[in-house]
Amino acid sequence: MQSKLSDAELIGQTLTGNQAAYAELVKRHQRFVFTLALRYAKVREDAEEIAQDTFIKAYRSLAAFKGQAKFSTWLYSIVYTTAMTFLRKKRVDTDSIDDENNFVQIENQASAYDVNSAENRSRSFYLDQAIAQLLPDDAAIITLFYKGEQSLEEIAQAMDMEANTVKVKLFRARQRLKEKLERNLKHEAKELI
Amino acid sequence: MNNIEEKLWNYIDGLCTPEEQKALGDLINRDAAVGAKYRELLSLNNEFAAMDLDEPPMAFTYNVMEVIRTENAQVPLKAAINKRIIRGISIFFMVTLLALIILVLASIKWSGIALPVSLTAHLKMPEINSGKTKMIVQAFLFFDVMLGLYLFDAYLRRKKGAKDPKAI
Repeated sequence: MQSKLSDAELIGQTLTGNQAAYAELVKRHQRFVFTLALRYAKVREDAEEIAQDTFIKAYRSLAAFKGQAKFSTWLYSIVYTTAMTFLRKKRVDTDSIDDENNFVQIENQASAYDVNSAENRSRSFYLDQAIAQLLPDDAAIITLFYKGEQSLEEIAQAMDMEANTVKVKLFRARQRLKEKLERNLKHEAKELI
Repeated sequence: MNNIEEKLWNYIDGLCTPEEQKALGDLINRDAAVGAKYRELLSLNNEFAAMDLDEPPMAFTYNVMEVIRTENAQVPLKAAINKRIIRGISIFFMVTLLALIILVLASIKWSGIALPVSLTAHLKMPEINSGKTKMIVQAFLFFDVMLGLYLFDAYLRRKKGAKDPKAI
């Protein structure tokens, strides 16, 4: 019955002390929050930690949520700040996130995923692989835009950026993703030959 | 970066003005290279939109709720006890006051008032002038004064601490 309730109704119930309502909110958003966390952390265990911290922080600050933005937008902004804090704690220099050279290591890790035979890999596998090779911000923007049902303005709000910056970043992220996808597929084609 | 590819992405995302939308639509139909590029980007767009979301571990919701439940159970003990203490003190004073009122009312000689039943009770107040009781009362008052001073000191320290956190 609760699954039919809107986010706002579930928030209202949570604020009156109904923890089951919050569990329903977690269930509703966990896949997306986890995916977004994975875009930043690149490792499932770290992503799980970020996603869990996000929901706990959101629960603590739920009374401060005024409902001016969508709950999902508010939640994604918490994912963003939590991920940044997490990465900083892990001594990853966030300033160098824009420096693609630093992600050679991640790229190598991604290519180490080649455990299945080339024949069995689907197109979505290559897409996932290419996304994993992207810079965290690029991967997050693409995920928010395509799977988070967020407008450019909402992404900007979640990532604490200007909408125009997000637009430019989205364009570049798509270009990079396209290049990586093509490169991976070309590499795979060579492997098959 | 204001190239045709960017314009085509804007066209696909629906971010163009109606005029731009129309001009690009015409260009896609007229120019074969632009048309091919548009179809390529559209195919990519559909592919991106169809990407799968990752699944968190099965116990994810349970783990989150468990942390929240644990946190709620660990509400500062000070706050939890304070409420009970305050309630207990309130009840104690109310009962004492009620008992005192009943005692006073019962001690009044109602002979001047015509009542159907006699309310006069033969209750005796404790004898304060006796040596032992006097000592107990003095000790009680001394304890009260000390407690008052201690609480006043704690209040002043807290006040000073709030003004200058480094002072404490």
